[in-house]
Amino acid sequence: MFKKILFATTASPSCDHAARVAFDTAKRYDSELTAFHVFGIPTRGFSQFARDVRTGETVTLDDDYLGWVKEEMKNTYARQLELHQKCTIEAIPGVPHTEILRAARKKDVDLIIMGSTTREEDEGTYTYRSTTGSTLQAVTKSARCPVLIIGRPVASAWGGFSNIVFGTDFSRAADSAFLFAYKVAKTFGCTLHLFHAYDISSVHSGKIMEQDEIEDNMMEAREKIRKMYVPRLKGFDDYEIDIWEGIPYVEIVKFARENYADLIVMAHHTRKPSSEKALLGSTVEQVVLRATCPVASVNRPDKIKDL
Amino acid sequence: MYQFVTGPLLWLSFAIFFIGCIVRIICYIRGLDWQADRVAYTTHFSYGIKGAIRSIAFWLFPFGTRSWRNNPVFTVVFFVFHIGLLVTPVFLLAHNIILKERWGFSLWTIPESVADVLAVGVIIAAVFLILRRIALSEVRILTTTYDFLVLAIAVAPFVTGFIAHHIASDYKFWVIVHVICGEIMLIAIPFTKLSHFVLFFMSRAQLGMDYGIKRGGMKGKGFAW
Amino acid sequence: MPEGILCNKKTIDTKEQLDAILADASGNQYYEEMNHLDIDKVALWTTIRKTFKSRFKTWLEICAHCGLCAESCYYYLANNRDPKQVPSYKIKTTLGELIRRKGDVSNAFMQMCMDTAFAKCSCCTRCGVYCPFGIDMGIMFSYLRGLLFSQGFTPWEMKIGSGMHRIYRAQMDVTTEDWVETCEWMEEEWEDDYPGLKIPIDKENADIMYTLNAREPKHYPQDIAEAAVLFHLAGENWTAPSEGWEATSLTMFAGDWPACKMQVENVYAAMKRLKPKRVVGTECGHAYRATVIEGPYWAGIKTGQPPVENLHYVEWVAEVLRTGKLKIDPAKKIKEPVTFQDSCNYVRNAGLADIPREIMSYIAEDFREMKPNREHNFCCGGGGGLNGIGRYREERNIGFKVKRDQILATGAKLVVSPCHNCWDAIRDMEEIYHMGIKWTFLKPLLIDMVEVPEHLKPKEE
Ligand code: HEM
Ligand code: SF4
Ligand code: SF4
Ligand code: SF4
Repeated sequence: MFKKILFATTASPSCDHAARVAFDTAKRYDSELTAFHVFGIPTRGFSQFARDVRTGETVTLDDDYLGWVKEEMKNTYARQLELHQKCTIEAIPGVPHTEILRAARKKDVDLIIMGSTTREEDEGTYTYRSTTGSTLQAVTKSARCPVLIIGRPVASAWGGFSNIVFGTDFSRAADSAFLFAYKVAKTFGCTLHLFHAYDISSVHSGKIMEQDEIEDNMMEAREKIRKMYVPRLKGFDDYEIDIWEGIPYVEIVKFARENYADLIVMAHHTRKPSSEKALLGSTVEQVVLRATCPVASVNRPDKIKDL
Repeated sequence: MYQFVTGPLLWLSFAIFFIGCIVRIICYIRGLDWQADRVAYTTHFSYGIKGAIRSIAFWLFPFGTRSWRNNPVFTVVFFVFHIGLLVTPVFLLAHNIILKERWGFSLWTIPESVADVLAVGVIIAAVFLILRRIALSEVRILTTTYDFLVLAIAVAPFVTGFIAHHIASDYKFWVIVHVICGEIMLIAIPFTKLSHFVLFFMSRAQLGMDYGIKRGGMKGKGFAW
Repeated sequence: MPEGILCNKKTIDTKEQLDAILADASGNQYYEEMNHLDIDKVALWTTIRKTFKSRFKTWLEICAHCGLCAESCYYYLANNRDPKQVPSYKIKTTLGELIRRKGDVSNAFMQMCMDTAFAKCSCCTRCGVYCPFGIDMGIMFSYLRGLLFSQGFTPWEMKIGSGMHRIYRAQMDVTTEDWVETCEWMEEEWEDDYPGLKIPIDKENADIMYTLNAREPKHYPQDIAEAAVLFHLAGENWTAPSEGWEATSLTMFAGDWPACKMQVENVYAAMKRLKPKRVVGTECGHAYRATVIEGPYWAGIKTGQPPVENLHYVEWVAEVLRTGKLKIDPAKKIKEPVTFQDSCNYVRNAGLADIPREIMSYIAEDFREMKPNREHNFCCGGGGGLNGIGRYREERNIGFKVKRDQILATGAKLVVSPCHNCWDAIRDMEEIYHMGIKWTFLKPLLIDMVEVPEHLKPKEE
């Protein structure tokens, strides 16, 4: 399923769960795995300094430090490395999201796996990155391949799924997410929930909607799902359609919980947000923060076709 | 003696002074190197000259520059000192009488009383400069004996001239001392840092050209000294 | 041991040499070797005799020791008016002494010179503006750095920087392929949001050729994307050269004059090859100084002008806002108090003081000037390469106090700083002194503020 996987790690405990999934998945598909750690954020002007991503301290980028970082990574993942040999460890300085995206592009990977680095963790290096918003946000927005985010301990690794929730906003990006969700569901023979949360918060703020109107819109959404996605399931019939109303990221999390979802698939299709909006985080980020299962963010068709 | 110091010796000192100053100017200009100094002096001469004149003019006016305005007391003292230093000897009645006698021409003259005020101004300013050198730590650290010596050379003619005129009983002796001091100053100008008498103009013009040509003069409205 | 393995009089011209010096932990071995470095006194004095001419000679000779330059130097102010920080004193005890002793100096003396030339002077040239004779310590220290460099006395990072330029013609190890690849990548990544976005490489006869700072492709590629977006929105016919795109020059800070020439000629070659109408450089102060102000002289161009007219990024921004090629959404103008960091390199040293004011008048509602400002502004505290030098962290951080107080006095919450170095300095300042401010380049600000013309908006199905 995935020939090449990039595991983007902060090499800290917050990525332990992601590490498990990454190594398990790689082993399962015999994929080439790169454990990729971006450890120090460089300055804008010329210097050999970088800001250590984990400690927030200023370090000098020299062979000593680089060697030390790699050594540490090897120790952290020693056990997993023994189990899966097709794994390389890479540690480089840079701005995390930039380097993750650059590496993913260069290696042409089929999947990025990352932990849900929390905003607080990012915060220490915030001023260095010069982009607002978190690493997660930037990677999910721009990655060409699916990004699998693992925040909590997961019962099963990749596979062994019973319920997959596909949350859609009907955007073009969501098409790719759908395709991915469908292929995964088909592969593992599990239930696919086609879900839409009708947004009554932001879009229509200022205007209180009649219940009727909401109902109408929800009906319409259901119809839309039927038209847009169902025909493409090509006979795969283990699906359900659900439309809820509310704030999308809240509803999808609630829905996933109620349906014992093993995976949420959604698109991160928002445009490059203005700096202020970026600080609030995207829907994907909000979902990741709250969901108990892994979240896959898929925006583009590039890597879905031959899944 | 008086004849000698106001005759051949004066000739000699003036010759040394003038030739010395001219040589210094020539050497300065010859030592400029457009590439090393990174100023295209000749290609953009007109911009350069504009910058040079601005740079000199602003600095010749009391309070004409930010630096003068930031240091008002020093500026006043400085200008009292330098105006006295330049105006008094050149336009002093007594000097011009000698000039007329020896070389057959004379310049404008200033009244004796004004000359006295200027001379006293120079002396007082010099005392202030000395005190300043001792009092202010940022000046003290720069000061060397040489600085005091140069100051002494410059002020000596004023002190001795003043003594000769107003205090001393032995006028003849003090006048000779005064003339010798004056000649020492003239000779010292090309050879000591009193050469700033001419090099001030050179150095300012150079930096003015730098700003006038390379550092924005060709883009902006001219540098805000 | 006359010559060290890492610290020596040789320049770094091969990748092996560069790797070796990069491998040294924080330059420990390098600085250790420096303690034993011999001085080639004959060569030193010969160089001085050849290059120490009118200007410097006169400056050192006629300095009236009046101390007027003291208060002009932010180091003097930041260090509680330590007389040892008076510009005249700093140069007198280093270059002045070197000349007096005719180059017959010790290793310790050379190191003292290095420490002074880098940690007590950022070559901001402010003192020259305040001296009655126009004695410019910034220029003299820059000259001294050159002498020191030729004898192997230069900070570790400067030696690395010089080596980078010598090998890659860029301040970082970015090859032509890396660079072009990065442009393609940015194009891909951003074209969803800005349909039709292109980063045209090596297009001849374009209106604008863009040059930049190697930190951008290396670590901050979104800078390139942002520049591309703004050119795109302004409808400019622009290009970037595949070779000769790097406009900065650490060799200038290091005093490696031969490499300065190599570096700048590389950029000029691109200008000649692609024949653009004009060149626009990124938001970097010293890149502008190196390529536009000093560069022509290194390259030996008699007119003192680069082959093609060059604009600093701020000049381009002012122009497109003035002509309406880019329009600011009035509702998105900056509302909070904002100030501007005048970079010495393109304001004091290139006369662009009016430009930032013009820009701020278009984009800010509450613009506050620092005092002093324009040509008289203080250095941010990180200039002259200082931001990058580990050995002088402490000194730099003390020097920051002046800029910190200047910024705080404006009450501004945001500092616009279109210079990589100043940006870094203000960032570090915030970190050390917790001033509660934000700082930014112009590009991201503008991207948030400009009106996107209807036909360039992404189509949503
Ligand atoms: C016209 C432009 C001139 C400028 C801008 C200039 C500038 C200065 C300055 C800045 C000082 C330092 C004051 C101190 O702190 O001691 C000084 C001192 C002095 N100047 Fe001038 N000067 C000029 C012309 C002259 C001339 C024409 C003379 C006459 C010979 C002269 C004689 C002196 C003397 C004797 C001193 C004190 C010695 C010293 O500190 O170097 N200056 N001048
Ligand atoms: S202001 Fe100029 S003349 Fe005065 S001490 Fe400083 S460098 Fe020397
Ligand atoms: S150039 Fe700037 S930092 Fe250097 S001595 Fe002069 S004022 Fe100080
Ligand atoms: S870093 Fe900025 S303020 Fe400092 S010298 Fe350079 S341009 Fe000037």
